[in-house]
Amino acid sequence: MRLARFFLVTAVLVALCSAASAASPEIGSPAPAFDLTTLEGKSVSLADATKSHKAVVVIFIATKCPYSNAYNVRMRDLAAAYEKQGVMFLGINSNNTEPEAEVRSHAREHGLAFPIAKDPGNKVADLYDAKRTPEVFVVTPDGKLRYHGRIDENSEDASQVKSPDLKNALDALLAGRTLEKAETKAFGCTIKRA
Amino acid sequence: MRLRGTLILALSWTCLAATMAAAAPPRLAGELDTDSFKALLAAQKGKVVLVNFWATWCVPCREEFPDLSRLQRSLAPRGLRVIGISTDFAGQKAQVEQFLAEMNPSFPNYRRKSGGDEQTFIEAVDPGWGGELPFSVLFAADGRKVKVFSGKRSLADYEKEIAAVLKKGR
Repeated sequence: MRLARFFLVTAVLVALCSAASAASPEIGSPAPAFDLTTLEGKSVSLADATKSHKAVVVIFIATKCPYSNAYNVRMRDLAAAYEKQGVMFLGINSNNTEPEAEVRSHAREHGLAFPIAKDPGNKVADLYDAKRTPEVFVVTPDGKLRYHGRIDENSEDASQVKSPDLKNALDALLAGRTLEKAETKAFGCTIKRA
Repeated sequence: MRLRGTLILALSWTCLAATMAAAAPPRLAGELDTDSFKALLAAQKGKVVLVNFWATWCVPCREEFPDLSRLQRSLAPRGLRVIGISTDFAGQKAQVEQFLAEMNPSFPNYRRKSGGDEQTFIEAVDPGWGGELPFSVLFAADGRKVKVFSGKRSLADYEKEIAAVLKKGR
C-alpha cells in the first residue's frame, strides 16, 4: 500500500515536470504545430509554412506595447529583406486586449506587410510558452526550433544595435552555419492572456 | 493707447509664464546604466530598499505610484527607502517630467539610461525579469535581494512584505 502510494506520487511528480518542460520548446526540439487564420482570412499552418520556406520566423507582437512598437520598422525591414531569401515572417498577436480590427489597422499604419494572425485564447503563446512582445521563434524546414529570444539588444535605438541576434541567426541558418547564439532573452511587455 | 498697454501687459505675462516654466526644476534625479544602478544600490546599505520600475505608458504603474509615496512616507522612519526608475525611452523625457510633476512623489526617481545592452541591465536587476511593468525589487538592509514583485501590487501587499524585512533587520 505504501509502495503503491510512493509510485502514485512519483508518477504525478513526473507528469507535472513533463508538463512544465513541455511548455518551453528547447532549441533543436520540434516546434509545436499550430494552425491560425491571418488578418486577410487565409489559413496558415506552421507545418505547411516550414515545408515551403528555408525558415519561418514566428514573432509575438503587440499593438500597444512600446517595446514591440519600437521594433516595427526593424520587423518590417527584416521581413522584406529575408523574404527574398526564402524566409517567412509570421506575426502573432496573442493579446486578448487587442482586437483583430486594431491589429489590422496597426499593421497597415506601420507597414507590416508580412502575415499576421490573432491567436484566440492565446493557445499558440501557451504552446511556445511565449511571455513577451516582441518574442521570436525561428523554425527550420525539419520542423525544429533553431532560435528563440529577442530581435536585438537595443529596443530603443536601432542605429546603436551591436548584437543583431535575429539577423545573425537567420544568416547562419541560411548559410548552413551553427548559430553562435541560439537563445537570447526576450525583453518586452507581457502577453496579455485571456 | 489703452490697447498698447493691454498688449504689453499680455506679453509680459506670457514671458513671465514661459520663464517660470523653463525654470521648473527637473524631477528626475538622473539616469542610470548598469554600473550606476549598482552604485546607487550600494550607497543605500543599511536601508531596506524597494526599487520600482515604471513607465508613463504603463497604466498599472501609474495606478500604484501613489501607494509608493505612501510607503515611503509611512515606513521611512523605520528604515525604508523607495527608489523609482522609469524605463521610458529618451523621447518620452518630457512625459516623464510631467508625470512626476503631477504625482509629486515622496521618493527619488531616475530614468534607465538609453543605449547599452538591455539584457545586461535586466540581469543586474533580476535575471527573472523580462521587462514587464511594473516590476519591483525589495532589498534587505545588508543589500540582499529578498523579493521581486512582477506586476501591480496593493499597498497592503507591499506593507506586509516590507514590514517582514524591516522586522528581520532589527
